[in-house]
Amino acid sequence: MDVFLQQLPQLLINGLTLGAVYALIALGYSMVYGVLQLLNFAHGDVYMIGAFIGYFVMVAFLPPDGPIIAPVLIIIFMMLLAMLGCGVLGVVIEQFAYRPLRNAPRIAPLISALGVSFFIQNAVQLTLTAKFRNYETEKLIAPGLAFDFGNARLSVTRALVIVTAIVLMIILQYLIRRTKLGKAMRAVAIDREAAAMMGVNVDQVIVFTFFIGSALAGAAGVLTGIVFTRIYHFMGFSAGLKGFTAAVLGGIGNIPGAMLGGFILGLTETFAVVFISSTYKDIVAFIVLIIVLLLRPRGLLGARIAQKV
Amino acid sequence: MSRDKIGVDQWVEQYDQRVSRAKGIQGFIEQTSRRLPVWGWLICLVVLGALLPVATTNSFAIRIAGNIALMGILALGLNVVAGYAGLLDLGFIAFYGIGAYVYAYLSSDFTGIHFPTWATLIIIVVVSTLFGLLLGSPSLRLIGDYLAIVTLGFGQMFVQLTTSLTRVDLPGRDKPVDLTGGPNGIVNLDPLSIFGLKATTVVHYYLILLIVFAISILIIYHLYKSRVGRAWRALREDELAAQAMGMPNHRLKLQAFAIGAAFAGFSGGLFAAWQGSVFPSNFDTTLLITVYAIIVLGGLGSLPGVVLGAVIMIAVPDILRNAPLAGTLFYIGVIVTLFSVIKPRWQAIVLIVAIAIFGFILRAVLVGANPDAFTTLKPVGALISDTVRSWLPIPNNAMVVGNYGFAILIILVLAVSRIKRPLWRLAALVPTLYLLLFVWETRLVAEPSITRLLFVGVLLIVLMIYRPNGLLGQRRVEIA
Amino acid sequence: MALFELQNVSKHFGGLQVVNDLSFTVEKNEIVSLIGPNGAGKTTILNLITGLYKSDAGKIVFDGHSLSGMEVHQITRLGIARTFQNLRLFLNMSIIENVMSAAYARTHANWFQIIARTPGFWKEEQRIRQLAEQKLAFFGERLVGYRYDQPAYSLSYANRRRLEIARAMMTEPKLLLLDEPAAGMNPKETQEVTQLIGQLRNELDLTIILIEHDMGVVGGISDRVIALDHGEKIAEGSYEAVATDPLVIEAYLGRNENVGRK
Repeated sequence: MDVFLQQLPQLLINGLTLGAVYALIALGYSMVYGVLQLLNFAHGDVYMIGAFIGYFVMVAFLPPDGPIIAPVLIIIFMMLLAMLGCGVLGVVIEQFAYRPLRNAPRIAPLISALGVSFFIQNAVQLTLTAKFRNYETEKLIAPGLAFDFGNARLSVTRALVIVTAIVLMIILQYLIRRTKLGKAMRAVAIDREAAAMMGVNVDQVIVFTFFIGSALAGAAGVLTGIVFTRIYHFMGFSAGLKGFTAAVLGGIGNIPGAMLGGFILGLTETFAVVFISSTYKDIVAFIVLIIVLLLRPRGLLGARIAQKV
Repeated sequence: MSRDKIGVDQWVEQYDQRVSRAKGIQGFIEQTSRRLPVWGWLICLVVLGALLPVATTNSFAIRIAGNIALMGILALGLNVVAGYAGLLDLGFIAFYGIGAYVYAYLSSDFTGIHFPTWATLIIIVVVSTLFGLLLGSPSLRLIGDYLAIVTLGFGQMFVQLTTSLTRVDLPGRDKPVDLTGGPNGIVNLDPLSIFGLKATTVVHYYLILLIVFAISILIIYHLYKSRVGRAWRALREDELAAQAMGMPNHRLKLQAFAIGAAFAGFSGGLFAAWQGSVFPSNFDTTLLITVYAIIVLGGLGSLPGVVLGAVIMIAVPDILRNAPLAGTLFYIGVIVTLFSVIKPRWQAIVLIVAIAIFGFILRAVLVGANPDAFTTLKPVGALISDTVRSWLPIPNNAMVVGNYGFAILIILVLAVSRIKRPLWRLAALVPTLYLLLFVWETRLVAEPSITRLLFVGVLLIVLMIYRPNGLLGQRRVEIA
Repeated sequence: MALFELQNVSKHFGGLQVVNDLSFTVEKNEIVSLIGPNGAGKTTILNLITGLYKSDAGKIVFDGHSLSGMEVHQITRLGIARTFQNLRLFLNMSIIENVMSAAYARTHANWFQIIARTPGFWKEEQRIRQLAEQKLAFFGERLVGYRYDQPAYSLSYANRRRLEIARAMMTEPKLLLLDEPAAGMNPKETQEVTQLIGQLRNELDLTIILIEHDMGVVGGISDRVIALDHGEKIAEGSYEAVATDPLVIEAYLGRNENVGRK
């Protein structure tokens, strides 16, 4: 028990870092599900593309003889370009793979989404090969830099990830609660047809949703690269599965739920690694999901929706 | 998706006309198919299939054919779950894996157990059905799409567990026990043996799989045309109305799930016997997507569709490994597609000529400007491919240029699909198709396994958009 | 005892009380119409009866059984069938299969019989095919012009309504709930439906609860009319009595100077 208490702060820090990444991915899943009732299986691959965009921006600014500009600026560029690139990618995917299927049977867009996911993974493998690439985080942030709290150590890298994720979530909340488009998005999520009749441009809202959701996934990709360094073409699959789990855990379609789900999942996994075994962390996460769904079929924060007959 | 909007009387009339108009081969097939009962079809399938080993001794071809039958059996199971009952089960491959591992446990030195084949197969069906019920009974109670994630997680869990359960502390044992063989799998499995005859050659397995495939089709067809099959489809069409018509939704879904699992487990057992070994990597997502592609290609829920889907999805990728054959097939495919998509037909000819001229001009300009930067590709030994290869300007760093070309190609294809004016579109197709040929020769043909998966991905998207009911499915008509 | 009874049933969605302490009974072989303006809670009542919604309070009794806590398909099995206001056919299935599928609860072929195609299976299959054709034949020439193996989506709107009634009949109900069976039909078709509902009651000994906006249909066949507004019963009795009830007129037209409160 003493060991546990000693480890607890450090585990919380690690869990929050992982959870921040999951939460960012989950947000995109949840937002898209909210407006379209579509499980966007390609979301994990958008995240992977984000990690690669960040990587190539980093390589461009980090020639062997040292960084061209201040490391902080490099990180900002990596984030912005990855978010922009992924946002555009998300919109393109929606335009070409989902929009034509908006009135098709429910299973059609799901299969199309599987196709997109598969295509992106293999396109990346074809052009960039299957090898691992490493973020050179140590060149951007001095490795020793950390805050010490007794037993726990919060490296600047991890702090950066957690803070960035939280700032992005606050911006998202502002966008959704305060802006016109955000309000339109919530209206579409509640009832697409009614919103359309009230003059909401539904297509525009959907494009906006995909852009924001995918941009968040892109940010998550770069943050993953910065803190865990290793990236590869298949990383989107398991991350997507985790983001998806987090979104469902919190109540899919529910934005605070996605954040909560992400953090819970990150903490669960971190604790599972320490107290059970790293081989079983995914299985523990999965079992938590099943238990939550059996007890609360609509997730932790999901609301009961009356079905119209 | 475009739906024809016509009135009902018109529909009947058109239907009649279509049937009576169909002449020649199509008409013959359509009319015979109406008269021939399903078992007649199956006998044809088995007889024609059995001729293959007589016609060729090429074990590569027979192996492909056996693989088609095996994937066909697997796809039949998924067809019940996803096609009839409309459940998006993304953990389906895990049942295939469970069947394979049960076979491995009961027929190898890994456990020291060597059961007779018939007993093993029965146990496999029972075990995989039980797992199906175990996973299905909680997850089918979940709301709609949550089934997808729970099953996807289950599939992942299966692969992870088989990979990692190599040092497990069991009560009553001092040393950790290896339960699955880990990534190295379980090898040296007993072959199938029926009535004392051991299946040892590819031909044996092929014939067994062919017969099992035919019997499976018959079983599934019988289920389809029965109270249960009707109830499954009703459930897929409208779950609420089906319930209100007295169909117990949860029970029916669970039955579909269990039947699917049983078929998957059985085919997994056959797979393990044929391969003589099992590895966790045999049961990854690639296989899942391939099986989905099989059932979607021919039309969800369609039995001839499963046969057609299995042939295309298994044969085509294997052919891709053979570069000359792949090249010829690719160019024929492109030309056939052009002629069937572009109307009037003469435009397709104009297009092909335009591409050829475009290619010559581009080549003259590029090579003329900097002859040192270009090289030639090794001929592959197929007429069309080699002609194209000598016509394309191949830069020295063909691989890198090909990669950029691939990225640009994606953008061009997406852009072309947005052009509305037919002539503009035709003009834009010239550089697009040119680039396609370039990318094909420089990159795609060199990476058959990735190309195959790219093909599957594109196929799923395009099919869902243009023919959501599959190649054999009927165009849905909506009454105006 | 009445065949069917609704006892003090209430249902709310969020803050909206859709059905409020409602009670009524239906005798065997009776045709009862529920009328009321849009949003009066008529369809909600059908959903409560068939188990699609769970009521907040009160009791629904059918043929001596309390329906509370029963699943939708169990209620159907007891002998209550319905049609839907906005049509819920199995569009990609054939016409005959739409009807045959509804016999699920009344058929018994097991897995072995189905897969092995035993004589027992064929006998049952033939029996329900005949039954289904019989149900379809009820609509006279209207559905005969079609091939029964044609997909349901090829049907016209009015025929879809007819098919839905045939499908409901296939469950062999004692009580049939019809939700706006004449919606979207022309006057001639409406007249046919009216006649048909009467026929169903007389020839098949059915009890019918009908929701309908077309007062011609309601007046033509109802033994009794119950008028609802805001989930409450405002009038009950013969068509003539209810149609002239000031409260009903007020509910439909809004309060009028000339119509005083009762």
